[in-house]
Amino acid sequence: MKTLKIMLALGMLSLASLSVQAVEIRDHHKEVIGKDCKACHDKGIKQFPSDQACLQCHDVSELAKQTARSEQDKWQNPHNNLHYGKELPCQECHSEHETKKPLCSNCHTFKYDKHKE
Amino acid sequence: MNKIDLLGRRKFITGLGIAAGAAMVAPAMAVSEKATGIKWDQEIEIVIIGSGFAGLAAAIEAKKLGAKDVHIFEKMSYFGGNSAINGGLFAAPVTPMQQKEGVEDSVERMVADQLAAGRGIADEALLRHVASHAMEALQMTLDAGSEYHPYLQQLGGHSVARTYQTTVSCGAGITQPLLKKCRELGVNTHNRSKFEGFLVGEKGEVLGIKMRENYHFGEDQPGKIIHIRAKRGVIMATGGFAQNVNLRMAQDPTLTSEVGCTNAPGATGEGMYEMFRLGAIPVHLAHIQSGPWASPDEGGFGYVSNYSIYNFPHSIAINRLTGKRFMDEIADRKTRADAELACRDEQGNALPPILITSYADSKKHPNTEKVIKYNVGWKFDSVEELAKHFNVPLNPLKAQIEEYNGYVKTGKDAQFGKNMTKAKDKYIKAPFTVVRLWPKVHYCQGGVMVNTKAEVKDSFTGEPIKGLYAAGEVCGGIHGVSRLGSCSIPECMVMGMTAARSMMKA
Ligand SMILES: Cc1cc2nc3c(=O)[nH]c(=O)nc-3n(C[C@H](O)[C@H](O)[C@H](O)COP(=O)(O)OP(=O)(O)OC[C@H]3O[C@@H](n4cnc5c(N)ncnc54)[C@H](O)[C@@H]3O)c2cc1C
Repeated sequence: MKTLKIMLALGMLSLASLSVQAVEIRDHHKEVIGKDCKACHDKGIKQFPSDQACLQCHDVSELAKQTARSEQDKWQNPHNNLHYGKELPCQECHSEHETKKPLCSNCHTFKYDKHKE
Repeated sequence: MNKIDLLGRRKFITGLGIAAGAAMVAPAMAVSEKATGIKWDQEIEIVIIGSGFAGLAAAIEAKKLGAKDVHIFEKMSYFGGNSAINGGLFAAPVTPMQQKEGVEDSVERMVADQLAAGRGIADEALLRHVASHAMEALQMTLDAGSEYHPYLQQLGGHSVARTYQTTVSCGAGITQPLLKKCRELGVNTHNRSKFEGFLVGEKGEVLGIKMRENYHFGEDQPGKIIHIRAKRGVIMATGGFAQNVNLRMAQDPTLTSEVGCTNAPGATGEGMYEMFRLGAIPVHLAHIQSGPWASPDEGGFGYVSNYSIYNFPHSIAINRLTGKRFMDEIADRKTRADAELACRDEQGNALPPILITSYADSKKHPNTEKVIKYNVGWKFDSVEELAKHFNVPLNPLKAQIEEYNGYVKTGKDAQFGKNMTKAKDKYIKAPFTVVRLWPKVHYCQGGVMVNTKAEVKDSFTGEPIKGLYAAGEVCGGIHGVSRLGSCSIPECMVMGMTAARSMMKA
């Protein structure tokens, strides 16, 4: 399923626009979306990607599993947290063209070692 | 912002940075205008702005009463506002748990407690209306699946135990089930949708709103304005303005950016100010409550707030410059917040005081472990170690601890007259846990004036503004000078339900 989605995204490469502001942060994004800005910017290049754009390839429940924490800290899972469940739009914590802090850091000092700011 | 850096150690208040940033990039505000000649993009039966307790309860109640087409609009990307980060403490009189625990309570008694805290300027009729329907609101959360600890708590200012708390000790234990319920009932929920003004008819009645779609809070992307016709009317449930430093300083100049904030970033108040532009009556705007239990080492409410609320009765608060106590650790919120703000170094820079507790006593609170684990509090084996870490003069500190332990023994605090009942047998001794304190703006008592039908009154005619209802923290005057803990949830929910009822009858 996942590979299929990646293939689909790769397929869109042919539509690639060449005006590129490099996708610098996540290497795997470089491979998948390459120079096709519209793979993410589904509402137009000058607009932020829709909240659904990331979900073309990523599955929230899958992500929640990957970032699960021990029973005591279970609600600190950014992809399934106490305050917003699995509903937090990706862009609250992630960004491709700039650095971002996780939303939790508004109030908490949790460490997310794998989170790229 | 420079002042904040002076506090050193950590980035002081992360949430504040977000709010300030948002204020800078906010596009020129659209304002209310006449609806004459407006082309409506959409027509909706009931428009609700804001997705906290008030908005969610209004939507559920409207659906129950037969509304077909209910929409909640939320400017943030996520739903829930302050309600989703709140402490989950819910006061109601004459509840099943009170019966079980044999607590004698009544609507009148809850109102009397709140009137005392309101110091003569609270709105008795509204308080009575809320207390009379609080149990219905609690029932709405239970029906939606909220779970509560199996015991009641008695918070400061309440004469009996009447406070429920969700098992997750957070308002999300209510907002999550209510949001789910809304969707089950077919309520339409829209995120990234910012209310920007009313569209009014010939007689000043609210016919609809201007809504900015595809809005990204704090980002420089304008989105698009659409015009929405609200057939039955608009319920404003947009919360308080504690995150808007300019607006809160306009009311109370001491609430500079140096004072942090416990609120969600979206608590910026433009919905309230737009109602004023329309003619709503401003009440009690300058009564803004700061929490003296917060820490500068984390943002918002974090973990320390509940930790220190629990520990204050058996702890000492120390001025790091002098090594001495500087306040009654359980005085009212304002007294303590002011005393903390006065703790400064020789240059006048903020020097957040410290709260010292015996580990043996602090560890009974579930947050203690987390406070230490997440580096917002520290454990020390000796006074020497503690004094060195915070650069506190050692001998005065030692003398202070000894003096205070004398008060624990005699039960009389000769320094500040603290009520020592709860400090009985709890001597300050090693090992210690320590957190830093600094007040944060927490709750806005002021807002627009509403009646017991949740109708917004017009300042000149004294009549309700047709088509306009408001509920929750955006309303003012209900609590007066000081809101009692756990009394906002019942207010928000009852007034949200009330707004829906009034609207369906109108
Ligand atoms: C950390 C914390 C702990 C608390 N603990 C307790 C407690 O234990 N018990 C208690 O009784 N009270 C507590 N309070 C107070 C209580 O939580 C709030 O007063 C209450 O949540 C307010 O609910 P509301 O529905 O009025 O507003 P909110 O829950 O704040 O919701 C308002 C919503 O409107 C949105 N909004 C604002 N402007 C616009 C606009 N222009 N367009 C669209 N949407 C907009 C906001 O983004 C927000 O989501 C606490 C508060 C905080 C901050």
